[in-house]
Amino acid sequence: MTAQTLTAKELKAPRLGGFGITFTVSVAVLLLMTVAAIFAPIIAPYDPNEVDFMAVHSGPSMAHWLGTDSLGRDLLSRMIFGARTALLGPLLVVVSSTVLGILLGVLAAWRGGWVDAVLARLFDVIFSFPSLLIAIMAVALFGKGLIAPVIAMSIAYAPYVARLTRSLVASERHRPYVAAYRVQGFSGWWIALRRVLPNVAPIVGAQSTLNFGYVLAELAGLSFLGLGVQAPAADWGAMINESQAGLVGGHFLPAIVPAIAVVIAVVAVNIIGEELSDRIGGEIPA
Amino acid sequence: MNLLDIDSLTLELPNGTRLLDGISITVAKGETVGLVGESGSGKSLTARSVLGLLPERATMGGQVLLEGEDSLRVSQQRLSELRRHSASMVFQDPRAGINPMRTVGEHLTETLRLCEHLPAEQARQRGIEMLKAVRLPRPEQHLKQYPHEFSGGMLQRVMIAGALISSPKLLICDEPTTALDVTTQAEIIAVLTEQAKSRGMGMLFITHDLNLAASLCDRVYVMSQGRVVEQGSAQGVFSAPQAEYTRKLVAATPTVAVDPAAEVAAARPVAVAATADRAGALRARAVSKTYTIRGQAPVRAVQDVSLEVSKGAALGVVGESGSGKSTLARIVVGLESADAGEILIAGKERTKAPRRRAERLAHARSAQMVFQDPYLSLDPRITAGHAIEDALKLHSKLSTLDSRNRVLELLDQVGMTGKHAQARPRTLSGGQRQCVAIARALAIEPDLLVMDEATSALDVSVQAQVLDVVAEIRRERGLTVLFISHDLAVVRRVCEETVVMRHGEIVEHGRTLELLGNPQHPYTRLLLDSVPRPAWNREVAVQSAT
Amino acid sequence: MALVSTRATAFKSGGTAVLARRVAGKLGSLLLTLFLSSLLVFFSRFIVPGDPVSFLLRGRKPSPEAIAQVTTEFGLDLPPWQQYINWIAGVLQGDFGRSLQYRQDVSTVIGDRLPVTFGLVVMAGTMIAVVGLIAGITAALNRNKLLDKSILIGLTILGAVPSFVGAIVLIAVFAVQLGWFPTFGSGDGFLDTVYHLVLPSFALAIVFVVLVGKVTRSSMVEQLDREHVEVATSRGLGRGAVVRRHVFRNALGPILTVSGPLVAGLLVASTIVEAAFGISGIGSLLVQSVDRLDFPVVQSIVLLIVTTFVVVNAIIDILEPWIDPRSAAGAGAR
Repeated sequence: MTAQTLTAKELKAPRLGGFGITFTVSVAVLLLMTVAAIFAPIIAPYDPNEVDFMAVHSGPSMAHWLGTDSLGRDLLSRMIFGARTALLGPLLVVVSSTVLGILLGVLAAWRGGWVDAVLARLFDVIFSFPSLLIAIMAVALFGKGLIAPVIAMSIAYAPYVARLTRSLVASERHRPYVAAYRVQGFSGWWIALRRVLPNVAPIVGAQSTLNFGYVLAELAGLSFLGLGVQAPAADWGAMINESQAGLVGGHFLPAIVPAIAVVIAVVAVNIIGEELSDRIGGEIPA
Repeated sequence: MNLLDIDSLTLELPNGTRLLDGISITVAKGETVGLVGESGSGKSLTARSVLGLLPERATMGGQVLLEGEDSLRVSQQRLSELRRHSASMVFQDPRAGINPMRTVGEHLTETLRLCEHLPAEQARQRGIEMLKAVRLPRPEQHLKQYPHEFSGGMLQRVMIAGALISSPKLLICDEPTTALDVTTQAEIIAVLTEQAKSRGMGMLFITHDLNLAASLCDRVYVMSQGRVVEQGSAQGVFSAPQAEYTRKLVAATPTVAVDPAAEVAAARPVAVAATADRAGALRARAVSKTYTIRGQAPVRAVQDVSLEVSKGAALGVVGESGSGKSTLARIVVGLESADAGEILIAGKERTKAPRRRAERLAHARSAQMVFQDPYLSLDPRITAGHAIEDALKLHSKLSTLDSRNRVLELLDQVGMTGKHAQARPRTLSGGQRQCVAIARALAIEPDLLVMDEATSALDVSVQAQVLDVVAEIRRERGLTVLFISHDLAVVRRVCEETVVMRHGEIVEHGRTLELLGNPQHPYTRLLLDSVPRPAWNREVAVQSAT
Repeated sequence: MALVSTRATAFKSGGTAVLARRVAGKLGSLLLTLFLSSLLVFFSRFIVPGDPVSFLLRGRKPSPEAIAQVTTEFGLDLPPWQQYINWIAGVLQGDFGRSLQYRQDVSTVIGDRLPVTFGLVVMAGTMIAVVGLIAGITAALNRNKLLDKSILIGLTILGAVPSFVGAIVLIAVFAVQLGWFPTFGSGDGFLDTVYHLVLPSFALAIVFVVLVGKVTRSSMVEQLDREHVEVATSRGLGRGAVVRRHVFRNALGPILTVSGPLVAGLLVASTIVEAAFGISGIGSLLVQSVDRLDFPVVQSIVLLIVTTFVVVNAIIDILEPWIDPRSAAGAGAR
């Protein structure tokens, strides 16, 4: 044992205790956003699309906590409703890409041989299309909205999950404990799905959590480009898109409020994802 | 003045753990001093402190005088100079210790060129000289090569050359041969002693291997849990240990030396049981296995191996890395299929790796295996009890309650308690894990237990405990064991009969004591000669050989 | 015992055959990936249900002349594989077809916009390399100290700032509030263009700086813990030399590996930044073309970005043995 590994262990030991404050806050923030999204009609003080020409570009006030936009719509209400598409889209992408990726990854690692080679080539091809580009292409083919991009990005993200799962399962597969299960007479697929997969799942989960943040930012970006959720619907990206023109006139709030919402959501997700992967101890291979 | 004078050295981590506690050690010029202890004894940390290689944020106490200068307190610049001129170190694993992305030449000469500002050509000449001194065959060519092109033994020579290139007065060796085969170890030790002698260097030799320390050192220090528990001349300490800990350590250390008088006493009850049934628990006939990797020459891992183990007996399979002993083990337990030959376990054909469920279960009941690395052979997520229960449930129709009781019985057999059933492998010690692995194998009640280097990763005292457990079980149940090991001394403790393998072939086969006392094949003799043994024991070995 | 594996020796000591075979293998793999990607780009149109003519003429008047023109131009009456061969043959000769929107060759439309995007990507790339590496190295060398922790927190926050958010914040603060930079357009002449591109490239760089910074840090930290670093230290080499020759040098591999996807990522992210800053590069062209249903342009830009990605990755792959000699021997493990 080298002196360094020794200290690394000693230094890491106390962290195994309670969760850090940033982690707790992040979880709380995400929970809050989720609750707000689900109960938006109850929580939001106004109808998000209620136009009020008497209160155009009003600053924060008792009536409008975060002010209003160029049509006098209440920013807080729009932000609360915006959380719905902001969280639902990434959730769908992450869940479907994780399920698909894990299946393909385990298949590639466990079968090996030509299955592995074909899948690796397929992943290589999909990797060469950055996810936002696939989303844009989906819009070009199927028209604006979130449905096509969400499906397209599920496919785009699946290989990332699959490659990670594959490398983890493949390295796990050569460990003596797997050989020990074989010697005891367990079947290959039982070992793969019941014993190896649960061992690597936390790392894959941490990666998927991080993916959630990326997807959130990308889908919001798509709406910002006017290709995703369409104005006047309340969506963070679309809100920024709509209010961009007002920036030059010095009306920052309508753009900044949803922008901050995006940043807070992504920061929270990233902190959770990084904390999880740190805790699990497995460095996520690039 | 001593070359090295460590005086009441202490090392404490920020959380208050004291890793070294009042260590005092001296090394004089031209003297070889051993620092012996098991893992976690602090011997490596002590050695590293001489060169100021300390954990970040550790608090140090006492002093480490290297040629009269305290390496704990000198300036960073002076420390670098001490490292370059006064003392240097050979590390355990050259594969990890030499930068894989730089050539051997760069590794050897970079301090000369960067710190001593030697012209490149001169540095190169020094490099060539050093590679010659450690007896590498083609120095000029080696300088341009990368570490991955060398074998472990050759790379360790490079490491030694790198340590010696600055002509240090003190050479610190931290387990320099632990990762190597025994014949390679003997060569490396020869190079080290030759260099130490010709340069009049002092040497501080850290090892866990008592026999090695005894064969090499003038004086030894025995360390345990951060303290020096005993010191003295090598012969004094090992033949008449005073401290309780040293006595246990010496007793636990297996040896290959055969004392003719003790031989009769060594005939164990297990061996008697073995003769009762000559039916043969394992019979392998002309087993061969060849690996072919595309673009590379085929590797004939096992060639035409035949052996037989009678029921209740233990057969040792000894060989160095690449001898095919592990492949043989994997074939026997059905992890690999033999290309040719036949394997019968308790009379049943077990030549091919099983595929269908019934075959798998049948093969599992024929042979179980205990693997080398106790840290990797247990599923990290599964508790000890659960692991054993899994195996039980697969092979029997026991009710949950019955299988729980059986788990406790099995754990009890390997000297563990119900409390351990709930423990995950992480919280168990290496020896305990290996016992869980044994219990798990026993749960299936196999005809044959294969132990593949099952105690190699353990400290000697723990190894002795695990071997005791195995002996106990064999006495009680008449278990048949195929014991794979690189270590002749361990095999001697366990097995009545032994085969020696090299390059996939069996070169010698015989009763263990006869094989050790009177080896026939030159390779067996080489193996035996390579095993370090104290100078005062050598005569005994020579006598018994004749 | 085989003393030295001759196969591995060949690489450095002039074994050009091994090297050539390796490069040829990588090139073959590159061409295969490119071919498969082009299939995906071309045939994506075919997964849209319905008539290809009406797909291509979405949002336009389907006059009989227009239908006839599109049909002959795209060879829609030919079998699909024939259409592909015609298309790819054209692409290989620099003919990407005609834009439905601009009534010009796609190559001309793209060619006009490429320099601005190129400038944007180069400026952002430089920022990413400089800031990312400095942040990562500084953090790694001060591991677990206050500086490291502040850098990590900074990176975590910056990493959550998507380029469009970065863009509007930069516009709000530096263009509108402080008036230091223009809010719009890409300027004329070299210096003016650079001036116009400062904020956009900054916005573009943010997320990628974080990526490079984090990879640099973790890769360096991993190397710092390696025993060969301790050995080099024990030989009396100074801290600077150890970091330079053993830590950073060995940490390069992962850093280079992330730079491949990074270039293509910059091109894609430039869609957002160009849209935010009103720059007419290929990013904003892509968005416009999607918006105006100009499929030939979309297809061509996608192919361009994908090709960039694949080529950059192949170059990095081919360079790898110079970074890590083991990969030439096929031992590969880092």
